[in-house]
Amino acid sequence: MSEHLPQTNYLDPEVLQKLGDLELIAREVVEGLRVGSHRSQLRGFSTEFAHHRQYAPGDALRTIDWRVFGRTDRYYTKLYEAETNFDCYLLMDASASMNYASGKVSKLEYGKFLAASLAYTVLKQRDSVGLSIFDSEVRAYLPPRSSMGIILQIDQLLREIQPTPRSSIAKQLHDIALMINRRSVIVVISDLLSDAEDILAGLDHLRFDGHNVVVLHTLDPYELDFPFQGAWCFEGLEQEEPLTTQAERIRADYLANFNAWLETIRNGCTASGIDYATVNTSTPLDEVLSEFFFQRQATTQAGAARGARP
Amino acid sequence: MTFLNPLLLLAGLGVALPILAHLLNRHRVQHTPWAAMQFLDRNVRVRSRQLRLRDLLLLCLRCLALILLVFAFARPAWRNGFAKWIPGEARAGVVVGLDVSFSMEQGEAENNRFQRALNQVRVIGQQMQDGDPISIILLGGKNKILCRNMAFDQQRLDALLQETKVSSTILNLDQVPKRLQELVDDMKAHQKEVYFITDNQARDWQQVSAQFDDSLVDLQRSANLFLVSVSGEPTNLAVTDFKFVSGALRKGTIARYQATVRNCGIAPVTNVEVQCRVEDMQIDSNTIPIINAGRSETVSLFVPFHNSGPTRITAKIIGDSLLTDNERRVVAVVRDRVSVLCVDGTDGDAGRLVTAALLARGDGAQDEDYVVRSVPWLSLPSQSLDDVDVIILADLPEITPEQAQLLSNHVRQGNGLVWFAGREVKPTAWNEYLASENRPLLPAELGNPVDTSTALGAGRPLDAAMPDHPVCLPLRSLPEDLFSETRFLRRLDVQPTSNSFAVLRLAGGGGPLLLEHSLGRGHVFQFTTSADTSWNNMALTPVFPMLMQQIVTYLAGREYERPRIVGDPLSLSYVEQPDASDAVFDSPSGETISVPVQQYRNQFLALLENATEAGFYTARVSVQSPGMPVAVNVDSQESNVASLTNAELETKLAATNIIIASSATELASAIKTTRTGRSSWRYFMLAGLMLLLIETLWSSRLSQQRQTRSQADRPITNAVTGAPNA
Repeated sequence: MSEHLPQTNYLDPEVLQKLGDLELIAREVVEGLRVGSHRSQLRGFSTEFAHHRQYAPGDALRTIDWRVFGRTDRYYTKLYEAETNFDCYLLMDASASMNYASGKVSKLEYGKFLAASLAYTVLKQRDSVGLSIFDSEVRAYLPPRSSMGIILQIDQLLREIQPTPRSSIAKQLHDIALMINRRSVIVVISDLLSDAEDILAGLDHLRFDGHNVVVLHTLDPYELDFPFQGAWCFEGLEQEEPLTTQAERIRADYLANFNAWLETIRNGCTASGIDYATVNTSTPLDEVLSEFFFQRQATTQAGAARGARP
Repeated sequence: MTFLNPLLLLAGLGVALPILAHLLNRHRVQHTPWAAMQFLDRNVRVRSRQLRLRDLLLLCLRCLALILLVFAFARPAWRNGFAKWIPGEARAGVVVGLDVSFSMEQGEAENNRFQRALNQVRVIGQQMQDGDPISIILLGGKNKILCRNMAFDQQRLDALLQETKVSSTILNLDQVPKRLQELVDDMKAHQKEVYFITDNQARDWQQVSAQFDDSLVDLQRSANLFLVSVSGEPTNLAVTDFKFVSGALRKGTIARYQATVRNCGIAPVTNVEVQCRVEDMQIDSNTIPIINAGRSETVSLFVPFHNSGPTRITAKIIGDSLLTDNERRVVAVVRDRVSVLCVDGTDGDAGRLVTAALLARGDGAQDEDYVVRSVPWLSLPSQSLDDVDVIILADLPEITPEQAQLLSNHVRQGNGLVWFAGREVKPTAWNEYLASENRPLLPAELGNPVDTSTALGAGRPLDAAMPDHPVCLPLRSLPEDLFSETRFLRRLDVQPTSNSFAVLRLAGGGGPLLLEHSLGRGHVFQFTTSADTSWNNMALTPVFPMLMQQIVTYLAGREYERPRIVGDPLSLSYVEQPDASDAVFDSPSGETISVPVQQYRNQFLALLENATEAGFYTARVSVQSPGMPVAVNVDSQESNVASLTNAELETKLAATNIIIASSATELASAIKTTRTGRSSWRYFMLAGLMLLLIETLWSSRLSQQRQTRSQADRPITNAVTGAPNA
């Protein structure tokens, strides 16, 4: 748990899984988060500046543009276009590799909670949420809506989809990019288990289309630590050839390769201006979200301080 | 092919363990679905397949090593001609039976039979290899085991042999196969060899029982049997007997002793000097002009007693090479005075005759240190028995139970009692009083008087039932006509007890005249005839004084005056419980042996199981108390050192396949010829350990190769994933 976070009761993913009701889960997670971060400056995802309007009583003081005040000696409030109506697309990876679970909660399940929580958060801000589910191709697409019913649809869609192995992620991201006309916030929830360059190409496409892209890189703790001992037969979820080996003999190689790949993706995202976060499925959801929003705020403030975003 | 430890072959089932472990490991592969397959090193999988083959090879190596080690511990061996391609060495477990009876000392000191026997043991040792089991038993007396299943080591063997000495015991040949068989059965070896090293004394081999050959045949079933002969010249002189003959063991008197020297050789020996030594001081000597081969000669030696107390007396011959039997020892307990009390139940005749017989001297004068009193029967209760050494009861009609108890205690304390029958004796009364005792006072139950006269009315003459009894010895020197003058007309019919024996009897197989038994530390003599002349004329002949004086001398002696033979038990007995809980025996070589005092019936007894040395032992109640010497002599049977020749031995052992060897060359050759088995356990052990070493090195090398390849593969993998090469 990070020291900057308020004292909250983190929600264990396994406990959430037992609840079954995704909306309830999302509400529990987000409301808990909001209570815990009551005094924080949580402002949503919008970053598009629209125009100024004169200050009216009741407006938050934080929205006053002090530069304009310095020049004009009048109070103006900054208004963001998307603050009142922005679209958020949740791109959910439902490929076979997302079904891996070292514990009771698979990456797909965890991603589902994550997506629902994010959707709830967005909807609470009266913004719209869309959903796209993909594996080897785009399996489902829900245009952005601002009703809570979308959370139930997320659950239903993820249940109906039969995960299939995926060869490339870039193609799906390209396809999704064509479907989205308006500049939006796109949250990719995926384990990104594919070639690093292929992934970055797909993400770059989204970014080049002007979307604000957030990658929640969802990984199982076993994938991060590879704690296997003895003889194991690893049966690939993406129809790879099984591998029987002595786990401790290949651990060093695995971790070196995996961390190098992870580093490649992280660096690639950073270079492309994509918000990136590694999500460990053993970590409580509220902790993940809290950490994510905190980072995002820091990033946004840094970008604002620099005066412009790439 | 045979195995020394066949049960250990079951350990071969242990081969299943590595196989089982291999199979378990194979089936212990756990399965898991996995998403991040792209990061797994496929090369390791390829290598793991190869490793399976290598693991199989390693498994085979392990199994083979295990089998070889199991074989090694099971100690396999082959007979010659079988599986010649398998390396092996001729090895055997050896049991050596070494004759240490004192006849083995015959010969010159550096080349006597025993030294040659030790050399033969060394020859056997030269044919052995380090680690082979060897057991050595010293045959003679108690058959001491020198070492049992000792791993052979030449230096240890030499050290053991240096400490080995000839004992003073004799060889019991009948026991030899049995003792050797015990050691053979106790030994674990493919091929067992038994060496019996002896001087083949003819006396031993002539006395063996019928079971001896059978025992040898049984022994041969489990081992190769060698008889190693170390016989030598049959020349030996031995003092075979030394005993007190006549006189009194009193201070100031002279006693006559008799030494018998036997020539055990095959040629006559002349001028044999026999020395008599008292407390190691020579006081008399006598020379035997000639002793023919196989004959014995006897000489008299006179010992003056100047001091009272126990006296060590030795008869010794000079110039014979076999020293052990050149001496013979006795102990005389010399008294300051001897007191005899004769209780006369007749009108005085018996007492007078007994007194006259005991005081008979050349000058007729009474010695003040030799007191003989005669009192009438009725004055017995008023007599003090404290200073009386011997009590003679002559024709007493009866005694009271209190008197019987008093007499019994008197005898148990080491004094003597002589009882005469007669007309006045009431057998029923005596039997009634004496029957109440646990051990009766008299050696025989009394019956009625019987007539022993011949048809012509003359009495029957005397005969010695035990001619070697000390009481009878002087009688042997009497002329025959004088001896036969003694005639007996009547005697009491008696029923001897189980512990008594007849010393004199009527001639012609007649009834006993004189019986003896021991009671506590003392002895009782019982005449079945009278002391006076009513039933015989004994008191009127020279037989009576000789007999009475000898009886008194014998009874006035002490138990330790009688010499013992090596191997006999030595005992100290006490009427009352001693202060010390242990008695002490000092051996002639100076060893002190403590023996616990235990209660036995009505007395306390300290028993040393057997005397192992010849010489004077000293028995003491405790370490501080004065000692009582006990003479221990060797058994003179062993002095006959004549040996059987090899031809005679072969004839005697025709029923067996025993190998007879007389020289070191013959022995070494016989061993090489008969030692046919080959033991291969060392080679199996070596091969097993080598395989284990190879397996260890190989697996270690494989592990290193794996690590090296893994490190070499890493940069390529990183290049594929786009990660920088660290």
